Amino acid sequence: MRHRFIQISGLALSLAYAILIVWIYATEPRTFREVATGAQLAAGTYQIDQERFQAGLALFRRDQFRAAREEWQRADPAQNDALTQSYVAYSFYREGWGRVYNDDDLFKQGLEKVNRALTLTSQPLTFNDTNLEMQTAAELKSELEQGRERNWSDVNPLKVFRKRK
Amino acid sequence: MNEQSNATYRYRNLAWLRYLVLPVMLLTVALLGGLRVNSDGGAFMFIPPPLVTLMLAALLLLLFVRGGLIKPRAWVDYHQSPLTNANGISTLIALFFASAQAFNSVLPERGLLHWLFSFFFLWTLWNNQFSAFDARRLVRSLVVLFGTAFVLKHLLVASLYEPEGGWLKRIAGSLAQGITLGTLDAPTFSPATGYISFFTLALYISALLLIMLTDETEPDRQVALTTPTENEKPELAKLNAVSRS
Repeated sequence: MRHRFIQISGLALSLAYAILIVWIYATEPRTFREVATGAQLAAGTYQIDQERFQAGLALFRRDQFRAAREEWQRADPAQNDALTQSYVAYSFYREGWGRVYNDDDLFKQGLEKVNRALTLTSQPLTFNDTNLEMQTAAELKSELEQGRERNWSDVNPLKVFRKRK
Repeated sequence: MNEQSNATYRYRNLAWLRYLVLPVMLLTVALLGGLRVNSDGGAFMFIPPPLVTLMLAALLLLLFVRGGLIKPRAWVDYHQSPLTNANGISTLIALFFASAQAFNSVLPERGLLHWLFSFFFLWTLWNNQFSAFDARRLVRSLVVLFGTAFVLKHLLVASLYEPEGGWLKRIAGSLAQGITLGTLDAPTFSPATGYISFFTLALYISALLLIMLTDETEPDRQVALTTPTENEKPELAKLNAVSRS
């Protein structure tokens, strides 16, 4: 009986360890912290750091976009929270927006983030933030896409009167 | 009574070693063999085993069978229970990947050196297929093979490309790169990579020694690794007494 127990536990342990190794090589974590975050994701217990998220939001409202992104990066290290990623995208939009021209590189990064946010949830993604003019991630995505398009309206001098959303 | 309890302990310890300790050791080698630590910021990098290391591992496993380090019928056989066979198969798979990762650990990651090392490993293993080996000789030969590759990769080549190396080292590195038209290029890793590789190889060799030692209990191995019935216990004790004398 005891012998059987050793055999079964050995087999179970080997199988679990082998799965862990495959998972580590597939996800390629760069630090022990990333290993822990990945494990939380796999177990479905992952949650963002709300305190850091609020700190990022406060910075965002003061137009400190890079600092806000730093905080959100720490709040959501796995980049797996749809709302946080949408806010990151919004910060790229606001930082990249210009009265005469938009920063193409920042808009591109914003588009990547909003696309990621949209893939993370099957529900319509809304901000519920009265300080923002765009209330959904879909609106933000459309604005970022339009900002990267090249057309004749780019040379319209009245463009300087438009407002940042 | 005492002999019987000794035999029971021995049988139990063998089972622990064979079914728990050995697979864990081999899987740890499989995990750490591809681990490198980046010199910039110390981030982990997991390098999966290249195709050539799988070929080398297959050749090495063949050599283990030829050298008698592994007796396939003691691991998987039709008269053993399915559970014992499942354990045998899983340990053999772990041994295969541990071997591949042990090679991965001492192979340079890219460039001419990667292919040179691979060629020498292939050449050595292929030649060894036709040599007369016993398990002890085979393990000794592997210690020398992995030891040499470790010294070449983690001491010699790593020191040539060390960013904080002295001017003489940097000149030697640049000369070696220039002469070989840049094909000798090797990535630089943190010194921790060398320590991890050393530990991995030590663990791999220990696992091979463990296989050898558990297999050297051959006369009672078949009895020891299957559950003894009440009738078999006196016989087991007798066998143990014979093997001790």
